[in-house]
Amino acid sequence: MENILDNLVQFWQFTGFANCNFQYLIMILIGLVFIYLGIKKEWEPLLLVPIGFGIIIGNIPLFPGLQVGIYEEGSVMNILYQGVQRGFYPPLIFLGIGAMTDFSALISNPKLLLIGAAAQFGIFGAYAIALALGFTPAEAGAIGIIGGADGPTAIFLSSRLAPDLMGAIAVSAYSYMALVPVIQPPIMKLLTTQKERLIKMKAPRAVSQTEKIIFPILGFLMTAFIVPSGLPLLGMLFFGNLLKESGVTKRLAETARGPLIDIVTILIGVTVGCSTQADQFLRGSSIKIFALGALSFVIATTFGVLFVKFFNLFLKEGNKINPLIGNSGVSAVPDAARVSNHVGLEYDKTNYLLMHAMGPNVAGVIGSAVAAGILLGFLA
Amino acid sequence: MKNLRYILVLCSIVVSLSLSAQQQSAMRINEYLVTNTSDFQDDFGQQNAYIELFNTSYGTVDIGGCYLSNDANNLKKYAIPRGDVLTKIKPRQHALFWADNQPFRGTFHVNFTLAESDTIYFVSSDGRTIIDKIFVKKDLPDNVTFGRTEDGIGSNCGCGEGWQVMDRTSPSTNNAGVDAESKSDRMYRVDPYGWIMTITAMSVVFLALIILAIIFTGIAKVSVKRGQEKATKAAEVKGEAAPKAKAEDYSAEAFAAISVALHLFIEENEAHDEESFTITLQHEARKYSPWSSKIYGLRQTPQLKK
Repeated sequence: MENILDNLVQFWQFTGFANCNFQYLIMILIGLVFIYLGIKKEWEPLLLVPIGFGIIIGNIPLFPGLQVGIYEEGSVMNILYQGVQRGFYPPLIFLGIGAMTDFSALISNPKLLLIGAAAQFGIFGAYAIALALGFTPAEAGAIGIIGGADGPTAIFLSSRLAPDLMGAIAVSAYSYMALVPVIQPPIMKLLTTQKERLIKMKAPRAVSQTEKIIFPILGFLMTAFIVPSGLPLLGMLFFGNLLKESGVTKRLAETARGPLIDIVTILIGVTVGCSTQADQFLRGSSIKIFALGALSFVIATTFGVLFVKFFNLFLKEGNKINPLIGNSGVSAVPDAARVSNHVGLEYDKTNYLLMHAMGPNVAGVIGSAVAAGILLGFLA
Repeated sequence: MKNLRYILVLCSIVVSLSLSAQQQSAMRINEYLVTNTSDFQDDFGQQNAYIELFNTSYGTVDIGGCYLSNDANNLKKYAIPRGDVLTKIKPRQHALFWADNQPFRGTFHVNFTLAESDTIYFVSSDGRTIIDKIFVKKDLPDNVTFGRTEDGIGSNCGCGEGWQVMDRTSPSTNNAGVDAESKSDRMYRVDPYGWIMTITAMSVVFLALIILAIIFTGIAKVSVKRGQEKATKAAEVKGEAAPKAKAEDYSAEAFAAISVALHLFIEENEAHDEESFTITLQHEARKYSPWSSKIYGLRQTPQLKK
């Protein structure tokens, strides 16, 4: 009888209940909120549901040494986490993004590329503020990339520059990407006049297949020669797009934008969520990162919209750009473009901006990958 | 077509050969000591001359099978044994060979000395390609090494630019002191507020995308021009006037109306395929034939017959 009791006491010590403290409960609550937002509000469900559940998995109080925790070398979760730590999930996701992205809007109106460049001010604005808050340049660079509104890029860069902050940065990046429809519209409305919001843009011209094939090849060569450190992301993005546009690799393109990206999204979501173990995540720096993340989105949106207004000064009447697509320079594809469209329709029911906004939106993907390459080159 | 295949095969062979040579070619003779009386000791507690090699690449290089020699007529004088894990030199790391003429003491003891050598050769595993060759400086004081000022950098003769009498010996370690300051620390020292980084980085982002925009504006002009030429030619063949309308001449509403009309037409004619909201206009080049069906190529599942 005494042995049974001893065993039961010992078993109790192994359980999550015995090892639990309020920090774990807070994190589990955050995980549940993510799942709620994903399912009920449908805010980026493909990301928030895996991350939310990952947060719960990662915050089950463990008896140390069981070889199951994500930070315990050799555990299953740790092996899956290698894709995040060593940075090979993000390029695979970029392959899928490339295979599902239609660059036609951008090719038909190449000047929209510049809006994608302007929105990258969000990254470097947040970088400067992070430095002022006492983060090191490497940490500031990893935090700043949240402003690129690109989860895989944020994970890729933070795994190299500030692995300790990666969990907070990834969760922050994905959370704000989900909140794009909430963050961006007030800024867009604040910075534009009624007349500007009603600008109707020319319908994009039809783009030939030859142009679509040339784009990923030349785009890669140009950007990679300028920023070789962005090679993994840029290479996979443009390669994926070539698979899509070549017309002869349909099966590969379908795998890249279908099963492959789905598998990697599941793995990246769950493992990033898992990496937010309470003892690693609930720190003062995480709160600062969340605040800086929000700020970086605000700066990116502001600069995107203001840049279009500035650009319009040099464009002829009839060629002007609606500044409501300036927000799409951040690379949250296609949410930011959808926001442009929604806000545009609020003021003119016949002004569909979606196709126009897709141009700067995909330019933002290229821009944020280039920016990540620059940060990596300077700080890694 | 057949020739094209041969060329492809030839190209892949050349590429694979150059890849393997490229790895070993990353090795450099980095530092050497001719007379050792009170410097670094080997595993046997003896002080002898040594030759240090350096892997300049960012990948591991296996030097097993390569050769070290001091004789131009016998480049295979000392064969570095294969299969020793220690001959796998990690990225940017060193390997130290004792020139003591006692090869029986292990992989890293060669069968010649530096006192009797004028030149040292590091030779590829093919036994012919000299990867690095240096002239031995005989007038060095005892316990003083001659080496590259910075690891792996400098001329390939062991003299002149990039080589110097070292202030201190550094067997199996960096010739120049490693910079303790990280890139991040340096950036903080140079740019504590982040303005330089912001201006530099944004300039590069804009530059990259402006170049892309310029190129594709040019390509777009060519493409539109070619399209118009094709349309004009087609119209000439039919004896019609060249079309003047461009895509931009139609409003978005016109496109929407065309799409709705097509959608309704397809729905009414039950031509709808399995993809909703997708109109598939695809030319079927080859009709189905059981001979081309993959299912007939599969092995039938064996069935037990009683």
